[in-house]
Amino acid sequence: MDFGSFLAAPEIKVKIITYRDIFQDKAMLENRFGEEYRDLSAVVKLDPADLKQLDVKKGETVILKNSFGRVVVKAEESGYETPHRGIAYMPKSPWSNMLISDETGGTGVPKFKDISVTVTSAKGEKVTELML
Amino acid sequence: MEKNYYVCTGCGLLCDDIEVESEKNIVNKVYTACRVGVAHMKEARRNEANFLVDNKPVDEATAIKEAASILKNAKNPLIFGLGTSINETQKAAIELAKKINATLDDTSSFCLGPLAEALIQDKLKTCTLDDVRNKADVIIYWGTDPSDSHPRQLSKYSYFPRGTEKQRGWEEERTAIAIDVRKSHTAKICGNYFFQIPPKGDAEFIDALIAGLSGKLPKTSYNYPPKKLLELANILKGAKFGVIFVGRGLIYSLENLEPLFKLMKILNEKANFHLIPMVGNCNTMGFNENLFAETGYVNSVKFENGTVKHGPEYSIVESLKAKSVDAALIIGSDPLLILPRSIAKNMLEIPVISMDHCETLTSKHSKVYINTAISGVEAGGSAIRMDGVKVSFEPAIETNHPSEEVILKKIMEAL
Repeated sequence: MDFGSFLAAPEIKVKIITYRDIFQDKAMLENRFGEEYRDLSAVVKLDPADLKQLDVKKGETVILKNSFGRVVVKAEESGYETPHRGIAYMPKSPWSNMLISDETGGTGVPKFKDISVTVTSAKGEKVTELML
Repeated sequence: MEKNYYVCTGCGLLCDDIEVESEKNIVNKVYTACRVGVAHMKEARRNEANFLVDNKPVDEATAIKEAASILKNAKNPLIFGLGTSINETQKAAIELAKKINATLDDTSSFCLGPLAEALIQDKLKTCTLDDVRNKADVIIYWGTDPSDSHPRQLSKYSYFPRGTEKQRGWEEERTAIAIDVRKSHTAKICGNYFFQIPPKGDAEFIDALIAGLSGKLPKTSYNYPPKKLLELANILKGAKFGVIFVGRGLIYSLENLEPLFKLMKILNEKANFHLIPMVGNCNTMGFNENLFAETGYVNSVKFENGTVKHGPEYSIVESLKAKSVDAALIIGSDPLLILPRSIAKNMLEIPVISMDHCETLTSKHSKVYINTAISGVEAGGSAIRMDGVKVSFEPAIETNHPSEEVILKKIMEAL
């Protein structure tokens, strides 16, 4: 067995900000249970330096985890010119919703754009299927 | 040849210039609409069955009877959704909520509700999208990315079109500004007028901008370049007809609307500014207006023997979290998809009736599912655009699917 498999995978902490994506919205209207919607939703966009630290190449899967949930999604480079290490972006979807706190301070408003998670390589694990 | 134009109910813009080619009541081609609008207008099928109880096809009478029985047996039923429903359906839902002492809420309780409320109460200066097209010279997109969420907003109303008083358009007469935490597609269009701020940095940015507008040195804890802030303040001061389009990015970042009230006040002392909320669904604004007319509140209400209570504790989020509701009627919404799982999971413990035109995560978990007509595509009516303008529409195609309004009235009768 490869010695490297006993080593803990690099782990980083990021804050996730959710956003809208026109292609993903269109895919949802066509079929929210379909592959296209999953492929465009189960994605996290990271700073290239964060990807490097995780030892993850773009297109590979990562585990996003916190006390509210765990999802496996595809990691992509954000493509933003300004560095944003520690901040990641996800289209808003049931995948990002898995990670949102139930703490609302009684306001009725969840923290959709303020999600703290740890990220590690999913080592080939497949993207989480839409849960029922 | 005279053409028939239809209204797209795909988002809060309610574009009214849509051409549709259909055959045998199936939409084959959609012209003029955006990518999302085309998908929405073509959004056809869905389940074959019109009525399901426990995921098994039943006739209408059985489904209505079961739905009525769930609502009758509930001590505190929740009615939620209605953002894509026509005004007439929303009014019927308010009547139903009164009759069964329900908690009633829509997505605005966790989206732009506070802003809608302030606008309905005339606490903020607003204008129509047509005013923006015809007159606006300074346009701010704050915490919103219409290029993705309301794709025709820039081309039809805010930045690119020639308006009656803006014949030279974006090239010479309009300045588009984006203030956001990321370089969105809209921010790219704004070029050098993209102001990137850190997450949760909006309130401070507003304070600094107010300082800049007042001739003071703008300071932020995140060291935003004062020169850039002063440059922005100067553009805003020179606006003859300015507009701020506000999205959830800004609203989620603020503790309350006070900073926005202060900013609008000073902007209207120095220049002329309006505010329009970037409402997502085609008739969330209608729900807010209709409920306000009836109760004085825009969302999160609980009816109780002729009285009405209001507060965040009657929002869908807090109701589900506290498990204070014991049944749910969901109309044209998919809370299991749009809400945090940590909260929405509590909906799996109560009987749910869902009305929607397609299978959803929520419908799959519903005791009763009613496959209703799509407002605007298959059912006519009226809705309120994001800027408060009422838009009436005829259906583009006919359908056998019942309208939400008819179903609500039948449930009322069966109670």
